Amino acid sequence: MANRSGTAQRPNGQTQGKICQFKLVLLGESAVGKSSLVLRFVKGQFHEYQESTIGAAFLTQTICLDDTTVKFEIWDTAGQERYHSLAPMYYRGAQAAIVVYDITNQDTFGRAKTWVKELQRQASPNIVIALAGNKQDLANKRLVEYEEAQTYADENGLLFMETSAKTAMNVNDIFLAIAKKLPKNEQNTGQTGSGQGRRLTEDNPDNKTVMNCCK
Amino acid sequence: MPAGNSDVYNIVQAKFLATEIVKTIHLNVSIVDGPSSNANRVLALVEYNSSHALFVLVSSRCPPVSFSDLSIETVVPIDQHFSCETEPVTEQNYVTLIIKYRQTKYEYNVEIGKESCNFAAELIRAKEVATDNKTNFTWLEKYFGTMNQSNRNSDPTMSDRSDFVIVRNEMAQAQTTNNRESRLKYQLKLRESEFTQIQEFTIFIGTWNVNGQPPSVSLKPWLSYDESPPDVYAIGFQEIDLSKEAFIFNDTPREAEWQKLVMDGLNPNAKYRLVALARLVGMQLAVMINNQHYPYVKNVSFDTVGTGLLGKMGNKGGVAVRLELHNTSLCFVNCHLAAHVDEYERRNQDYKDINARINFKRNPQAIKDHDQIYWLGDLNYRITDLSNTQVKTLLIRNEVNTLLKVDQLNQQRERGNVLLDYTEGDITFQPTYKFDLFTDVYDTSEKARPPAWTDRILWRGKGIHQVQYRSHMEMRISDHKPVSALFKSEISVIDPIRYRKVQEDLLKWMDKYDNEILPQVTVDETEVIFDLVKFREPQSKEIIIANTGLVPADFEFIKKHDEPFYCKEWLRILPYAASINPGEKCEIRFEVNLETDVENLEDILVLHLKGGKDIFITISGKCQKSCFTQSLSSLVRIQVPILNLTEDEWDQVRKNNTPVRYSVPRELWLLVDHLYRHGLKTRDLFESCALHEELIRIRNWLDYGSQDPIPGTPQAVAETLLLFLSYTKEPVIPFELQDICTAAANNFENCRQLILMKLNDIHRTVFIYICMFLQELLKYSKDNSYDAKTLASLFGDILLRDQIRNSKPQASRGKANFVYNFLVNDLSSSLLPR
Repeated sequence: MANRSGTAQRPNGQTQGKICQFKLVLLGESAVGKSSLVLRFVKGQFHEYQESTIGAAFLTQTICLDDTTVKFEIWDTAGQERYHSLAPMYYRGAQAAIVVYDITNQDTFGRAKTWVKELQRQASPNIVIALAGNKQDLANKRLVEYEEAQTYADENGLLFMETSAKTAMNVNDIFLAIAKKLPKNEQNTGQTGSGQGRRLTEDNPDNKTVMNCCK
Repeated sequence: MPAGNSDVYNIVQAKFLATEIVKTIHLNVSIVDGPSSNANRVLALVEYNSSHALFVLVSSRCPPVSFSDLSIETVVPIDQHFSCETEPVTEQNYVTLIIKYRQTKYEYNVEIGKESCNFAAELIRAKEVATDNKTNFTWLEKYFGTMNQSNRNSDPTMSDRSDFVIVRNEMAQAQTTNNRESRLKYQLKLRESEFTQIQEFTIFIGTWNVNGQPPSVSLKPWLSYDESPPDVYAIGFQEIDLSKEAFIFNDTPREAEWQKLVMDGLNPNAKYRLVALARLVGMQLAVMINNQHYPYVKNVSFDTVGTGLLGKMGNKGGVAVRLELHNTSLCFVNCHLAAHVDEYERRNQDYKDINARINFKRNPQAIKDHDQIYWLGDLNYRITDLSNTQVKTLLIRNEVNTLLKVDQLNQQRERGNVLLDYTEGDITFQPTYKFDLFTDVYDTSEKARPPAWTDRILWRGKGIHQVQYRSHMEMRISDHKPVSALFKSEISVIDPIRYRKVQEDLLKWMDKYDNEILPQVTVDETEVIFDLVKFREPQSKEIIIANTGLVPADFEFIKKHDEPFYCKEWLRILPYAASINPGEKCEIRFEVNLETDVENLEDILVLHLKGGKDIFITISGKCQKSCFTQSLSSLVRIQVPILNLTEDEWDQVRKNNTPVRYSVPRELWLLVDHLYRHGLKTRDLFESCALHEELIRIRNWLDYGSQDPIPGTPQAVAETLLLFLSYTKEPVIPFELQDICTAAANNFENCRQLILMKLNDIHRTVFIYICMFLQELLKYSKDNSYDAKTLASLFGDILLRDQIRNSKPQASRGKANFVYNFLVNDLSSSLLPR
């Protein structure tokens, strides 16, 4: 019998191009290759002497999965310790994070663990965290063992890959793995609270006025 | 949508959320009474969740090239208060579109033509849809403050417009991401040919007016006439039930019975599945599809429209089904138009009403917006001006063409009154009406109606090829003969692999574009280091922001998540927000003015580009200590100028770890003593404004110490005294005591008790010391012209200064009264510490 409601819809995935939008933040010690990973992922480029990020760079990139399309809004943060206190502005409200370390530098791995801890404590509870051991092309100078990182990732429920922004190894793969792991519900399609350029701290517009008139 | 306008249409759509569909637009609109050459308005009919609104947009370029060219001027909700009329302008090629909403009237001039006709028709249609359901217009609220306010405005004022602009700017951010889906959809449509291929589908269309006869015969001779099975069937009936019950309750057992016959009558060489069945009283339309194609059918929807009694009852009208087969949208309309030979105009009207009122409640909503439309039914058009006998004679002579020339439908179509743009195949069959029941004999009753081709099938759209158009004489239970048409129709079929490739391609391209149009700036310096910063000696440093991107960059310093302001209180940023055009630069000045005790300047500022990245700017600098901004309790512990202390010594002093050396700070004593000796007779001692350098010299004299006399006039020293008292870390009467002090101000004894009981020794001594000096000053009031009230008012504001520095000093009567007590009463005995 025909549908009586006037509209009858049948599922058909073929052309239903649902776009889910996610905020992703990169964290890690300075000079581990966060910007290089993003640059490789978004533009397919690599610069041997990548400028240090002073601030938080913003780029977008879309990945097609079988049934959905995932659009990442990527915040690539400054790694220097003195900017540490600003990091929450970027990981608050993020649905995904890539914590990056340099496999040739044990300290950066320790720093990565602190970032993971901070995310587990402060970020949204459902955040998907990936651990990236970058500079895999320098594996002959390796100081962080793959197994050590893998074990740590397993214990903490993180995605883990060793990557190389220079050779592109695992770069797309790690973003793809995150995209697959992210929940695709209606909330992430269309207008989300974490839209591009939106701030996550609750801006009180009055503050500016107050500052201005009392100066 | 006219093809040439599709780009502009897309631009207009970009002004709205993806879920707010721009149904139709009208370009080159001018305001009546405005300059007609300035046709820079764009009208847009926008639909959201089946409520409509008319938007008037002002375009800075004609036609607009980007959505940023457009700003929203007026928003009119389309509900029962909305009306739309057109009024021709004499001897001009334009008409006036008069839009009324409650008491408000908007008038626009538009060029006469298809565009304006369509637009007006769409508005009227939207209004028609609106009147029968309670529509919700909350979605419009973001486009104007509140709806009532907008409705009250008969004339959109500038202030109104700026409101809209603010709203739009905020929304522009979300726009870019939200519109991605519609942008993608649009781009995919443009490149459709790359991932689709044409596949021919056989479509069987049948129509039969069954004259209320019971379903009693097999339909195989009609529906299975052709040997090879069609891919799609669309079968329409009229008059399946002529009973009153069917008419009134729109319910009939005949529906299921006829449908069963239809299913049984379909071509046995294939299996079919019902896609949709729509019925209104006696009109029924069923769409069936070969099983193998069923998975590729989507977005099925139907609607019915009654145009019969009272213009809305279901004894006449139309029922329609729409669906998408692969990538082609199909619409089938089965209609039963008004009867009687002379009523062809009524039939034309019914046709128009069906078109205007069928609404599939999804996009596209209207019949006309489909790729392929099949129009079938008992259209009821007759043969004009010929008698029964004449028609029959011509038929016997087989002069069908002569008859077709006087066929009303052909005539009305030629005149453009009905089924414009539709095609009908050549009619080679006999008229299908009116037969004596169970015969092939035309009406022999008294009425002797002339035979007519009442039952017809027409089509509109690309790639439709009719291969058969015929009647089925052997079906004899009705006074009509069924008609059928067989089509080979080109359906666009998506190749999933190529589709995915094009989609990925487009997304890549859109990402690239999105990243390219992100605002980009460079900053010449991210470290701003100030030289040694001293009390009340402002310094400034500049950085230059250059827009190196392709779009205007709106920057703004934003606050960090855990801080109340975007910068520290000693810093001022000018401008703290601005917009820089591509290729241009903007100088930002950072001003430091130290008015509190700060050891080092340290701050990281977040310079945010709207819709883009953030840049961190670090501010740093060393500060020089000064006796100003210190607490009284620290100052009474030092015997030497503050800058003569080592860091360690000062650290001990600050922690109150060293003994109190003086009853009042050394600096206070130096200033007061100087005034005591040189300033008592100075006229307007506290009112002259010393030079900034002079104050700095005195500050240095106090902070560094010197054998030289104090470098300044009594007025400058007096002003320094006021500054000193104004900037101590705590006011002489601490903040928490001020309220009870002012409350007690009308009773000296109470004030005295407060000073004795609540103030600590250091503050009490300083307070009394100053009051005694002021009493001394008042002894010379003839010379210096001060009276107690004036001094009380001046010092009340300083000794009991407000917590928020630099806020407008509010002359407080309570504070003045409190101090006044101590200027006119004897302080000598009772108030001094034991």
